[in-house]
Amino acid sequence: MQWQKPGSLGEQARLNIFQMSDHTSLPAWREQPLDRRVFLRVSAASAASVALIAAGCTSETTPPVTPDPYQLVLPAGDTGLYYYAYILSIAQTTLYQKVVDSPPADLTTAERAVFVDLRDHAVVHRELFRYFIDNTRANELFPTDFVFNLATFTLTSRAGVLAAAQQVADLVAAAYPAMLPLFATATAQRNIALKISSVLARHAAAVRDMLTPGSFASSDVVDSTGLLITKTPTEVTAALASYFAPYVISVANLAIPA
Amino acid sequence: MKLISVLDHLAATPTTAAPRRALLAQLGRAAVAALPLGMGTALPAAAGTLDTSYDATLQLLLLERLQVALYTQGLAATGLVPTAQRTDFQRILSHQTQHVALLLQALQDAGAIVPTQPSFDFTGRHNVSTNPVLFPNVLTNFDDFLALAQQIEDLSARLYNVHALNLVYDKPLTQSVLRILSVEAQHAAHIRSLRKGRGATVQYWPSEEDAVIARSAAAQVLTTAATGDENNITQYISPGVAIPFDDFLRIGYGTAIHDPALPESFDEPANTATAQAALNLFI
Repeated sequence: MQWQKPGSLGEQARLNIFQMSDHTSLPAWREQPLDRRVFLRVSAASAASVALIAAGCTSETTPPVTPDPYQLVLPAGDTGLYYYAYILSIAQTTLYQKVVDSPPADLTTAERAVFVDLRDHAVVHRELFRYFIDNTRANELFPTDFVFNLATFTLTSRAGVLAAAQQVADLVAAAYPAMLPLFATATAQRNIALKISSVLARHAAAVRDMLTPGSFASSDVVDSTGLLITKTPTEVTAALASYFAPYVISVANLAIPA
Repeated sequence: MKLISVLDHLAATPTTAAPRRALLAQLGRAAVAALPLGMGTALPAAAGTLDTSYDATLQLLLLERLQVALYTQGLAATGLVPTAQRTDFQRILSHQTQHVALLLQALQDAGAIVPTQPSFDFTGRHNVSTNPVLFPNVLTNFDDFLALAQQIEDLSARLYNVHALNLVYDKPLTQSVLRILSVEAQHAAHIRSLRKGRGATVQYWPSEEDAVIARSAAAQVLTTAATGDENNITQYISPGVAIPFDDFLRIGYGTAIHDPALPESFDEPANTATAQAALNLFI
Protein backbone atom coordinates (compact mmCIF):
# COMPACT_ATOMS: atom_id res chain seq x y z
CA MET A 1 0.00 0.00 0.00
CA GLN A 2 2.98 2.29 -0.36
CA TRP A 3 1.42 4.23 -3.18
CA GLN A 4 -0.84 6.19 -0.90
CA LYS A 5 2.14 8.23 0.20
CA PRO A 6 2.57 10.91 -2.40
CA GLY A 7 6.04 11.99 -3.23
CA SER A 8 7.69 8.76 -2.18
CA LEU A 9 7.14 5.48 -3.97
CA GLY A 10 4.49 6.87 -6.28
CA GLU A 11 6.98 9.36 -7.63
CA GLN A 12 9.62 6.69 -7.82
CA ALA A 13 7.41 4.47 -9.92
CA ARG A 14 6.47 7.27 -12.26
CA LEU A 15 10.14 8.09 -12.68
CA ASN A 16 10.78 4.50 -13.62
CA ILE A 17 8.19 4.57 -16.37
CA PHE A 18 9.68 7.54 -18.08
CA GLN A 19 13.33 6.59 -17.58
CA MET A 20 13.32 2.96 -18.45
CA SER A 21 16.80 3.08 -19.93
CA ASP A 22 18.02 3.68 -16.41
CA HIS A 23 16.40 0.60 -15.05
CA THR A 24 19.63 -1.13 -14.21
CA SER A 25 20.26 1.51 -11.59
CA LEU A 26 16.76 1.21 -10.17
CA PRO A 27 16.29 -2.18 -8.57
CA ALA A 28 12.59 -1.58 -8.01
CA TRP A 29 11.95 -1.40 -11.74
CA ARG A 30 11.38 -5.08 -12.31
CA GLU A 31 8.70 -5.32 -9.69
CA GLN A 32 6.66 -2.23 -10.19
CA PRO A 33 5.72 -2.47 -13.88
CA LEU A 34 4.72 -6.07 -13.20
CA ASP A 35 1.76 -4.83 -11.19
CA ARG A 36 0.70 -2.80 -14.15
CA ARG A 37 1.04 -5.77 -16.47
CA VAL A 38 -1.03 -7.99 -14.22
CA PHE A 39 -3.71 -5.38 -14.04
CA LEU A 40 -3.69 -4.80 -17.76
CA ARG A 41 -3.93 -8.47 -18.52
CA VAL A 42 -7.18 -8.53 -16.58
CA SER A 43 -8.61 -5.43 -18.17
CA ALA A 44 -7.48 -6.45 -21.64
CA ALA A 45 -9.20 -9.79 -21.18
CA SER A 46 -12.48 -8.18 -20.27
CA ALA A 47 -12.18 -5.69 -23.09
CA ALA A 48 -11.55 -8.55 -25.48
CA SER A 49 -14.59 -10.44 -24.27
CA VAL A 50 -16.77 -7.39 -24.77
CA ALA A 51 -15.45 -7.03 -28.29
CA LEU A 52 -16.14 -10.69 -28.89
CA ILE A 53 -19.77 -10.38 -28.00
CA ALA A 54 -20.16 -7.21 -30.03
CA ALA A 55 -18.61 -8.87 -33.07
CA GLY A 56 -21.17 -11.66 -33.06
CA CYS A 57 -18.77 -14.45 -32.13
CA THR A 58 -16.50 -14.05 -35.13
CA SER A 59 -13.47 -14.05 -32.96
CA GLU A 60 -11.06 -14.49 -35.87
CA THR A 61 -11.92 -11.05 -37.24
CA THR A 62 -11.71 -9.23 -33.89
CA PRO A 63 -8.83 -6.81 -34.09
CA PRO A 64 -6.20 -7.03 -31.39
CA VAL A 65 -7.12 -4.97 -28.36
CA THR A 66 -4.63 -2.29 -27.48
CA PRO A 67 -5.79 -1.01 -24.10
CA ASP A 68 -4.91 2.43 -22.88
CA PRO A 69 -2.46 1.80 -20.03
CA TYR A 70 -3.97 4.67 -18.06
CA GLN A 71 -7.56 3.50 -18.38
CA LEU A 72 -8.82 1.95 -15.13
CA VAL A 73 -12.09 0.21 -15.91
CA LEU A 74 -13.91 -0.75 -12.74
CA PRO A 75 -15.50 -4.19 -12.99
CA ALA A 76 -19.25 -4.74 -13.14
CA GLY A 77 -21.32 -5.83 -10.18
CA ASP A 78 -20.73 -5.24 -6.50
CA THR A 79 -16.98 -5.67 -6.93
CA GLY A 80 -16.98 -2.53 -9.07
CA LEU A 81 -18.65 -0.71 -6.19
CA TYR A 82 -15.95 -1.94 -3.80
CA TYR A 83 -13.34 -0.51 -6.15
CA TYR A 84 -15.27 2.73 -6.36
CA ALA A 85 -15.48 3.05 -2.57
CA TYR A 86 -11.83 2.03 -2.31
CA ILE A 87 -10.81 4.86 -4.64
CA LEU A 88 -12.87 7.31 -2.59
CA SER A 89 -11.05 6.23 0.55
CA ILE A 90 -7.69 6.57 -1.21
CA ALA A 91 -8.55 10.22 -1.88
CA GLN A 92 -9.46 10.73 1.78
CA THR A 93 -6.53 8.90 3.33
CA THR A 94 -4.00 10.58 1.06
CA LEU A 95 -5.21 14.04 2.00
CA TYR A 96 -5.77 13.38 5.69
CA GLN A 97 -2.44 11.60 6.06
CA LYS A 98 -0.65 14.54 4.50
CA VAL A 99 -2.31 16.91 6.98
CA VAL A 100 -1.41 14.63 9.88
CA ASP A 101 2.20 14.36 8.68
CA SER A 102 2.69 18.06 7.86
CA PRO A 103 0.02 20.13 9.59
CA PRO A 104 0.03 23.86 8.84
CA ALA A 105 1.27 25.91 11.77
CA ASP A 106 -2.11 27.56 12.36
CA LEU A 107 -4.07 24.31 12.58
CA THR A 108 -4.94 23.94 16.27
CA THR A 109 -4.05 20.94 18.38
CA ALA A 110 -7.73 20.00 18.65
CA GLU A 111 -8.14 20.24 14.89
CA ARG A 112 -5.04 18.11 14.31
CA ALA A 113 -6.63 15.47 16.53
CA VAL A 114 -9.75 15.55 14.36
CA PHE A 115 -7.61 14.95 11.27
CA VAL A 116 -6.04 11.93 12.97
CA ASP A 117 -9.56 10.57 13.50
CA LEU A 118 -10.58 11.34 9.91
CA ARG A 119 -7.42 9.59 8.71
CA ASP A 120 -8.02 6.58 10.96
CA HIS A 121 -11.64 6.13 9.89
CA ALA A 122 -10.72 6.46 6.23
CA VAL A 123 -7.90 3.92 6.65
CA VAL A 124 -10.37 1.48 8.20
CA HIS A 125 -12.75 2.01 5.28
CA ARG A 126 -9.97 1.76 2.70
CA GLU A 127 -8.52 -1.45 4.07
CA LEU A 128 -12.00 -2.92 4.48
CA PHE A 129 -12.91 -2.34 0.82
CA ARG A 130 -9.54 -3.69 -0.18
CA TYR A 131 -10.40 -6.80 1.82
CA PHE A 132 -13.79 -7.04 0.08
CA ILE A 133 -12.05 -6.90 -3.29
CA ASP A 134 -9.24 -9.31 -2.47
CA ASN A 135 -9.37 -11.03 0.90
CA THR A 136 -6.00 -12.67 0.29
CA ARG A 137 -4.43 -9.23 -0.02
CA ALA A 138 -1.89 -10.90 -2.27
CA ASN A 139 -2.53 -8.71 -5.31
CA GLU A 140 -1.74 -5.11 -6.02
CA LEU A 141 -5.05 -3.62 -7.11
CA PHE A 142 -3.69 -0.63 -8.98
CA PRO A 143 -0.43 0.37 -10.60
CA THR A 144 1.93 1.72 -8.00
CA ASP A 145 1.90 5.20 -9.53
CA PHE A 146 -1.88 5.48 -9.21
CA VAL A 147 -2.07 8.26 -6.62
CA PHE A 148 -4.40 11.02 -5.48
CA ASN A 149 -2.35 14.09 -6.37
CA LEU A 150 -2.44 16.84 -3.76
CA ALA A 151 -0.45 19.41 -5.75
CA THR A 152 -3.38 21.70 -6.50
CA PHE A 153 -4.41 22.02 -2.85
CA THR A 154 -2.96 24.67 -0.58
CA LEU A 155 -1.95 22.59 2.40
CA THR A 156 0.31 25.15 4.04
CA SER A 157 -2.47 27.03 5.84
CA ARG A 158 -5.37 26.05 8.08
CA ALA A 159 -7.83 27.62 5.66
CA GLY A 160 -6.32 25.75 2.72
CA VAL A 161 -6.29 22.43 4.54
CA LEU A 162 -9.89 22.77 5.67
CA ALA A 163 -11.02 23.90 2.21
CA ALA A 164 -9.36 20.84 0.67
CA ALA A 165 -10.84 18.58 3.34
CA GLN A 166 -14.31 20.02 2.81
CA GLN A 167 -14.05 19.47 -0.91
CA VAL A 168 -13.11 15.81 -0.45
CA ALA A 169 -15.45 15.12 2.49
CA ASP A 170 -18.44 16.70 0.72
CA LEU A 171 -17.75 14.74 -2.44
CA VAL A 172 -17.46 11.42 -0.63
CA ALA A 173 -20.56 12.11 1.50
CA ALA A 174 -22.48 12.90 -1.70
CA ALA A 175 -21.23 9.72 -3.38
CA TYR A 176 -22.48 7.14 -0.87
CA PRO A 177 -26.27 7.65 -0.94
CA ALA A 178 -26.10 7.35 -4.74
CA MET A 179 -23.84 4.30 -4.59
CA LEU A 180 -25.79 2.25 -2.04
CA PRO A 181 -28.82 1.50 -4.24
CA LEU A 182 -26.47 0.13 -6.93
CA PHE A 183 -25.63 -2.98 -4.90
CA ALA A 184 -27.26 -6.00 -6.51
CA THR A 185 -28.51 -7.53 -3.28
CA ALA A 186 -28.65 -6.82 0.43
CA THR A 187 -25.23 -8.21 1.25
CA ALA A 188 -23.27 -7.69 4.44
CA GLN A 189 -20.91 -5.53 2.39
CA ARG A 190 -23.80 -3.29 1.32
CA ASN A 191 -24.98 -2.97 4.92
CA ILE A 192 -21.49 -2.08 6.10
CA ALA A 193 -21.24 0.54 3.34
CA LEU A 194 -24.47 2.00 4.71
CA LYS A 195 -22.94 2.28 8.19
CA ILE A 196 -19.96 4.03 6.61
CA SER A 197 -22.21 6.42 4.68
CA SER A 198 -23.52 7.89 7.90
CA VAL A 199 -20.01 8.36 9.35
CA LEU A 200 -18.86 10.10 6.17
CA ALA A 201 -21.79 12.51 6.48
CA ARG A 202 -20.56 13.26 10.00
CA HIS A 203 -17.06 13.88 8.60
CA ALA A 204 -18.44 16.38 6.10
CA ALA A 205 -20.34 18.25 8.82
CA ALA A 206 -17.29 18.23 11.12
CA VAL A 207 -15.00 19.69 8.47
CA ARG A 208 -17.63 22.22 7.40
CA ASP A 209 -18.11 23.38 10.97
CA MET A 210 -14.35 23.68 11.46
CA LEU A 211 -13.95 25.83 8.35
CA THR A 212 -17.12 27.88 8.75
CA PRO A 213 -18.98 27.33 12.03
CA GLY A 214 -22.64 26.54 11.36
CA SER A 215 -22.11 25.56 7.72
CA PHE A 216 -23.14 21.92 8.35
CA ALA A 217 -25.95 20.66 6.09
CA SER A 218 -26.30 24.06 4.45
CA SER A 219 -28.08 24.77 1.20
CA ASP A 220 -25.09 23.95 -1.02
CA VAL A 221 -25.23 20.31 0.14
CA VAL A 222 -28.89 19.84 1.16
CA ASP A 223 -31.71 20.57 -1.27
CA SER A 224 -34.95 22.48 -0.62
CA THR A 225 -36.77 19.28 0.36
CA GLY A 226 -34.31 18.40 3.14
CA LEU A 227 -32.43 15.73 1.18
CA LEU A 228 -28.67 15.55 0.75
CA ILE A 229 -27.59 16.50 -2.76
CA THR A 230 -25.94 13.36 -4.10
CA LYS A 231 -23.52 12.67 -6.93
CA THR A 232 -23.50 9.67 -9.25
CA PRO A 233 -20.31 7.66 -9.80
CA THR A 234 -19.96 9.40 -13.16
CA GLU A 235 -20.14 12.82 -11.52
CA VAL A 236 -17.80 11.81 -8.72
CA THR A 237 -15.13 10.37 -10.99
CA ALA A 238 -15.37 13.48 -13.17
CA ALA A 239 -14.76 15.60 -10.08
CA LEU A 240 -11.78 13.44 -9.15
CA ALA A 241 -10.35 13.12 -12.66
CA SER A 242 -7.68 15.80 -12.44
CA TYR A 243 -6.40 14.43 -9.13
CA PHE A 244 -5.87 10.92 -10.46
CA ALA A 245 -4.48 11.96 -13.86
CA PRO A 246 -2.97 10.55 -15.98
CA TYR A 247 -5.17 7.64 -14.92
CA VAL A 248 -8.76 7.72 -16.13
CA ILE A 249 -11.31 5.90 -13.98
CA SER A 250 -14.19 4.42 -15.92
CA VAL A 251 -17.38 3.55 -14.04
CA ALA A 252 -19.19 2.51 -17.23
CA ASN A 253 -19.62 -1.05 -15.94
CA LEU A 254 -21.36 -0.02 -12.72
CA ALA A 255 -25.13 -0.45 -12.69
CA ILE A 256 -25.81 3.26 -12.94
CA PRO A 257 -29.45 4.03 -13.79
CA ALA A 258 -29.86 5.84 -17.11
CA MET B 1 -43.09 9.22 -4.71
CA LYS B 2 -44.36 5.76 -5.40
CA LEU B 3 -46.47 3.81 -3.01
CA ILE B 4 -44.97 2.24 0.06
CA SER B 5 -44.16 -1.33 -0.67
CA VAL B 6 -47.19 -3.49 -0.20
CA LEU B 7 -45.28 -6.72 -0.42
CA ASP B 8 -44.45 -6.99 3.24
CA HIS B 9 -47.96 -5.97 4.19
CA LEU B 10 -49.29 -8.95 2.35
CA ALA B 11 -47.06 -11.10 4.44
CA ALA B 12 -47.87 -9.42 7.72
CA THR B 13 -51.00 -10.32 9.63
CA PRO B 14 -53.59 -7.54 9.29
CA THR B 15 -55.47 -8.31 12.46
CA THR B 16 -54.61 -5.43 14.72
CA ALA B 17 -53.69 -2.37 12.76
CA ALA B 18 -56.50 -0.55 11.04
CA PRO B 19 -54.17 1.46 8.80
CA ARG B 20 -52.59 -1.72 7.56
CA ARG B 21 -56.00 -3.14 6.72
CA ALA B 22 -56.82 -0.01 4.79
CA LEU B 23 -53.59 -0.27 2.88
CA LEU B 24 -54.24 -3.89 2.07
CA ALA B 25 -57.79 -3.25 1.00
CA GLN B 26 -56.72 -0.65 -1.48
CA LEU B 27 -53.53 -2.08 -2.80
CA GLY B 28 -53.06 -5.65 -1.74
CA ARG B 29 -54.92 -7.41 -4.49
CA ALA B 30 -53.41 -5.34 -7.23
CA ALA B 31 -49.95 -6.08 -5.93
CA VAL B 32 -50.41 -9.85 -5.66
CA ALA B 33 -50.37 -10.08 -9.42
CA ALA B 34 -47.08 -8.24 -9.54
CA LEU B 35 -45.35 -10.42 -6.96
CA PRO B 36 -42.38 -12.22 -8.46
CA LEU B 37 -42.59 -15.94 -7.91
CA GLY B 38 -41.04 -17.04 -4.68
CA MET B 39 -40.75 -13.58 -3.24
CA GLY B 40 -43.78 -13.94 -1.02
CA THR B 41 -42.35 -16.89 0.80
CA ALA B 42 -39.40 -14.87 2.04
CA LEU B 43 -41.51 -12.23 3.68
CA PRO B 44 -43.62 -13.67 6.50
CA ALA B 45 -40.68 -13.49 8.90
CA ALA B 46 -41.17 -9.75 8.96
CA ALA B 47 -44.69 -10.01 10.35
CA GLY B 48 -45.19 -8.81 13.87
CA THR B 49 -41.99 -6.75 13.98
CA LEU B 50 -41.33 -3.12 13.29
CA ASP B 51 -39.27 -4.10 10.30
CA THR B 52 -41.73 -3.77 7.46
CA SER B 53 -41.91 -0.83 5.11
CA TYR B 54 -45.14 0.39 6.60
CA ASP B 55 -43.98 0.14 10.18
CA ALA B 56 -40.63 1.62 9.21
CA THR B 57 -42.28 4.63 7.65
CA LEU B 58 -44.55 5.11 10.66
CA GLN B 59 -41.63 4.93 13.05
CA LEU B 60 -39.60 7.41 11.01
CA LEU B 61 -42.61 9.73 10.90
CA LEU B 62 -42.89 9.60 14.70
CA LEU B 63 -39.18 10.34 14.99
CA GLU B 64 -39.32 13.29 12.61
CA ARG B 65 -42.42 14.69 14.29
CA LEU B 66 -40.64 14.40 17.61
CA GLN B 67 -37.67 16.31 16.23
CA VAL B 68 -39.91 19.02 14.81
CA ALA B 69 -41.53 19.36 18.23
CA LEU B 70 -38.18 19.45 20.03
CA TYR B 71 -36.75 22.25 17.91
CA THR B 72 -40.05 24.15 17.75
CA GLN B 73 -40.31 24.10 21.54
CA GLY B 74 -36.60 24.82 21.92
CA LEU B 75 -36.68 27.86 19.65
CA ALA B 76 -39.84 29.10 21.37
CA ALA B 77 -38.36 28.80 24.88
CA THR B 78 -37.26 32.25 25.97
CA GLY B 79 -33.52 32.53 26.51
CA LEU B 80 -32.76 28.90 25.68
CA VAL B 81 -31.03 28.97 22.29
CA PRO B 82 -28.29 31.64 22.06
CA THR B 83 -28.70 34.14 19.26
CA ALA B 84 -25.63 32.84 17.44
CA GLN B 85 -27.13 29.36 17.21
CA ARG B 86 -30.70 30.23 16.25
CA THR B 87 -30.06 29.91 12.52
CA ASP B 88 -28.52 26.46 13.09
CA PHE B 89 -31.66 25.23 14.79
CA GLN B 90 -33.94 26.95 12.33
CA ARG B 91 -32.14 25.08 9.56
CA ILE B 92 -32.41 21.75 11.40
CA LEU B 93 -36.10 22.39 12.13
CA SER B 94 -36.71 23.22 8.50
CA HIS B 95 -35.11 19.93 7.38
CA GLN B 96 -37.13 17.91 9.90
CA THR B 97 -40.33 19.62 8.75
CA GLN B 98 -39.46 18.69 5.16
CA HIS B 99 -38.80 15.09 6.21
CA VAL B 100 -42.22 14.91 7.91
CA ALA B 101 -43.84 16.16 4.71
CA LEU B 102 -42.01 13.57 2.63
CA LEU B 103 -42.99 10.68 4.90
CA LEU B 104 -46.61 11.88 5.13
CA GLN B 105 -46.75 12.03 1.36
CA ALA B 106 -45.36 8.49 1.10
CA LEU B 107 -48.02 7.19 3.48
CA GLN B 108 -50.82 9.08 1.76
CA ASP B 109 -49.69 7.88 -1.67
CA ALA B 110 -49.90 4.35 -0.31
CA GLY B 111 -53.45 4.93 0.85
CA ALA B 112 -52.45 4.43 4.46
CA ILE B 113 -54.20 6.18 7.31
CA VAL B 114 -51.82 8.66 8.88
CA PRO B 115 -51.61 8.53 12.67
CA THR B 116 -52.57 11.68 14.52
CA GLN B 117 -49.86 13.99 15.72
CA PRO B 118 -48.91 13.07 19.31
CA SER B 119 -48.47 15.69 21.99
CA PHE B 120 -44.76 15.51 22.79
CA ASP B 121 -43.52 16.10 26.31
CA PHE B 122 -39.73 16.42 26.55
CA THR B 123 -39.70 16.21 30.33
CA GLY B 124 -40.56 12.54 29.98
CA ARG B 125 -43.70 12.98 32.12
CA HIS B 126 -46.06 11.90 29.34
CA ASN B 127 -48.08 15.09 29.74
CA VAL B 128 -49.02 14.11 33.31
CA SER B 129 -47.68 16.70 35.73
CA THR B 130 -47.50 14.28 38.63
CA ASN B 131 -45.19 11.88 36.77
CA PRO B 132 -41.47 12.06 37.55
CA VAL B 133 -39.31 14.30 35.35
CA LEU B 134 -36.93 12.09 33.37
CA PHE B 135 -35.24 14.87 31.39
CA PRO B 136 -34.75 17.89 33.64
CA ASN B 137 -34.20 21.41 32.30
CA VAL B 138 -34.18 20.47 28.61
CA LEU B 139 -36.13 23.59 27.69
CA THR B 140 -34.42 25.92 30.14
CA ASN B 141 -30.74 24.92 30.11
CA PHE B 142 -28.96 24.97 26.74
CA ASP B 143 -26.46 22.24 27.68
CA ASP B 144 -29.27 19.91 28.73
CA PHE B 145 -31.16 20.77 25.55
CA LEU B 146 -28.08 19.97 23.46
CA ALA B 147 -27.47 16.69 25.27
CA LEU B 148 -31.02 15.58 24.51
CA ALA B 149 -30.78 16.84 20.92
CA GLN B 150 -27.54 14.92 20.44
CA GLN B 151 -29.08 11.67 21.61
CA ILE B 152 -32.14 12.16 19.42
CA GLU B 153 -30.06 13.04 16.35
CA ASP B 154 -27.77 10.05 16.92
CA LEU B 155 -30.86 7.88 17.28
CA SER B 156 -32.17 9.41 14.08
CA ALA B 157 -29.05 8.55 12.06
CA ARG B 158 -29.14 5.02 13.48
CA LEU B 159 -32.86 4.51 12.91
CA TYR B 160 -32.59 5.62 9.28
CA ASN B 161 -29.61 3.29 9.09
CA VAL B 162 -31.77 0.29 9.92
CA HIS B 163 -34.88 1.36 8.01
CA ALA B 164 -33.00 2.15 4.83
CA LEU B 165 -32.73 -1.62 4.57
CA ASN B 166 -36.44 -2.17 5.16
CA LEU B 167 -37.70 -0.16 2.22
CA VAL B 168 -35.98 -2.17 -0.47
CA TYR B 169 -39.11 -2.68 -2.54
CA ASP B 170 -39.79 1.02 -2.87
CA LYS B 171 -36.78 2.42 -4.66
CA PRO B 172 -37.68 6.12 -4.71
CA LEU B 173 -38.46 6.04 -0.99
CA THR B 174 -35.23 4.11 -0.32
CA GLN B 175 -33.28 6.76 -2.20
CA SER B 176 -34.91 9.54 -0.20
CA VAL B 177 -34.31 7.73 3.07
CA LEU B 178 -30.62 7.28 2.25
CA ARG B 179 -30.35 11.00 1.56
CA ILE B 180 -32.21 11.88 4.76
CA LEU B 181 -29.87 9.60 6.70
CA SER B 182 -26.91 11.71 5.61
CA VAL B 183 -28.68 14.92 6.61
CA GLU B 184 -29.54 13.51 10.03
CA ALA B 185 -25.93 12.42 10.50
CA GLN B 186 -24.81 15.97 9.67
CA HIS B 187 -27.26 17.32 12.25
CA ALA B 188 -25.90 14.90 14.83
CA ALA B 189 -22.30 15.91 14.09
CA HIS B 190 -23.24 19.57 14.38
CA ILE B 191 -25.00 19.19 17.74
CA ARG B 192 -21.91 17.32 18.90
CA SER B 193 -19.70 20.14 17.64
CA LEU B 194 -21.79 22.68 19.57
CA ARG B 195 -21.39 20.62 22.72
CA LYS B 196 -17.68 20.25 22.03
CA GLY B 197 -17.44 24.03 21.70
CA ARG B 198 -19.06 24.37 25.12
CA GLY B 199 -16.52 22.12 26.79
CA ALA B 200 -18.21 18.72 26.64
CA THR B 201 -15.94 15.74 26.00
CA VAL B 202 -17.53 14.54 22.80
CA GLN B 203 -16.54 13.70 19.25
CA TYR B 204 -18.45 14.40 16.04
CA TRP B 205 -19.29 10.69 15.91
CA PRO B 206 -20.24 8.24 18.65
CA SER B 207 -17.00 7.30 20.39
CA GLU B 208 -15.94 5.45 23.50
CA GLU B 209 -14.01 8.65 24.27
CA ASP B 210 -17.29 10.57 24.68
CA ALA B 211 -18.27 11.50 28.22
CA VAL B 212 -21.40 9.57 29.17
CA ILE B 213 -24.62 11.60 29.25
CA ALA B 214 -26.07 10.88 32.68
CA ARG B 215 -29.63 9.56 32.60
CA SER B 216 -31.90 8.08 35.24
CA ALA B 217 -32.67 4.39 34.99
CA ALA B 218 -36.09 5.09 33.53
CA ALA B 219 -34.53 7.21 30.76
CA GLN B 220 -31.61 4.90 30.06
CA VAL B 221 -33.36 3.38 27.05
CA LEU B 222 -32.75 6.63 25.17
CA THR B 223 -28.99 6.23 25.63
CA THR B 224 -29.21 2.61 24.49
CA ALA B 225 -31.21 3.62 21.44
CA ALA B 226 -28.88 6.53 20.64
CA THR B 227 -25.48 4.92 21.06
CA GLY B 228 -25.93 1.29 22.11
CA ASP B 229 -23.48 -1.05 20.34
CA GLU B 230 -21.46 1.90 19.04
CA ASN B 231 -18.35 0.53 20.71
CA ASN B 232 -18.81 -2.67 18.79
CA ILE B 233 -15.46 -3.70 17.34
CA THR B 234 -16.78 -6.58 15.23
CA GLN B 235 -18.35 -6.44 11.80
CA TYR B 236 -19.51 -9.55 9.98
CA ILE B 237 -18.89 -10.49 6.37
CA SER B 238 -21.49 -13.26 6.68
CA PRO B 239 -23.43 -14.70 9.63
CA GLY B 240 -20.93 -15.76 12.28
CA VAL B 241 -17.89 -14.79 10.20
CA ALA B 242 -16.15 -11.73 11.60
CA ILE B 243 -14.05 -9.47 9.41
CA PRO B 244 -10.41 -9.93 10.52
CA PHE B 245 -9.60 -6.27 11.04
CA ASP B 246 -6.57 -7.19 13.14
CA ASP B 247 -5.10 -8.98 10.15
CA PHE B 248 -5.15 -6.05 7.82
CA LEU B 249 -5.30 -2.80 9.75
CA ARG B 250 -1.76 -2.92 10.99
CA ILE B 251 0.10 -4.19 7.99
CA GLY B 252 1.50 -2.28 5.08
CA TYR B 253 0.83 1.03 6.63
CA GLY B 254 3.38 1.69 9.32
CA THR B 255 1.04 3.67 11.53
CA ALA B 256 -1.47 1.76 13.61
CA ILE B 257 -4.80 3.52 13.96
CA HIS B 258 -5.81 4.37 17.50
CA ASP B 259 -8.12 1.77 18.96
CA PRO B 260 -11.37 3.75 19.35
CA ALA B 261 -11.21 4.59 15.64
CA LEU B 262 -12.35 1.14 14.57
CA PRO B 263 -15.85 1.26 16.11
CA GLU B 264 -16.08 4.99 15.32
CA SER B 265 -15.73 4.14 11.64
CA PHE B 266 -19.23 2.63 11.52
CA ASP B 267 -22.59 3.99 12.68
CA GLU B 268 -24.50 1.00 13.97
CA PRO B 269 -28.19 0.55 13.15
CA ALA B 270 -30.56 1.06 16.06
CA ASN B 271 -32.68 -1.76 17.37
CA THR B 272 -36.18 -0.81 16.29
CA ALA B 273 -37.88 -2.00 19.47
CA THR B 274 -35.41 -0.12 21.65
CA ALA B 275 -35.84 2.94 19.44
CA GLN B 276 -39.61 2.73 19.85
CA ALA B 277 -39.26 2.51 23.62
CA ALA B 278 -37.03 5.60 23.51
CA LEU B 279 -39.49 7.54 21.34
CA ASN B 280 -42.32 6.50 23.66
CA LEU B 281 -40.58 8.33 26.53
CA PHE B 282 -41.74 11.58 24.96
CA ILE B 283 -45.38 10.82 24.13
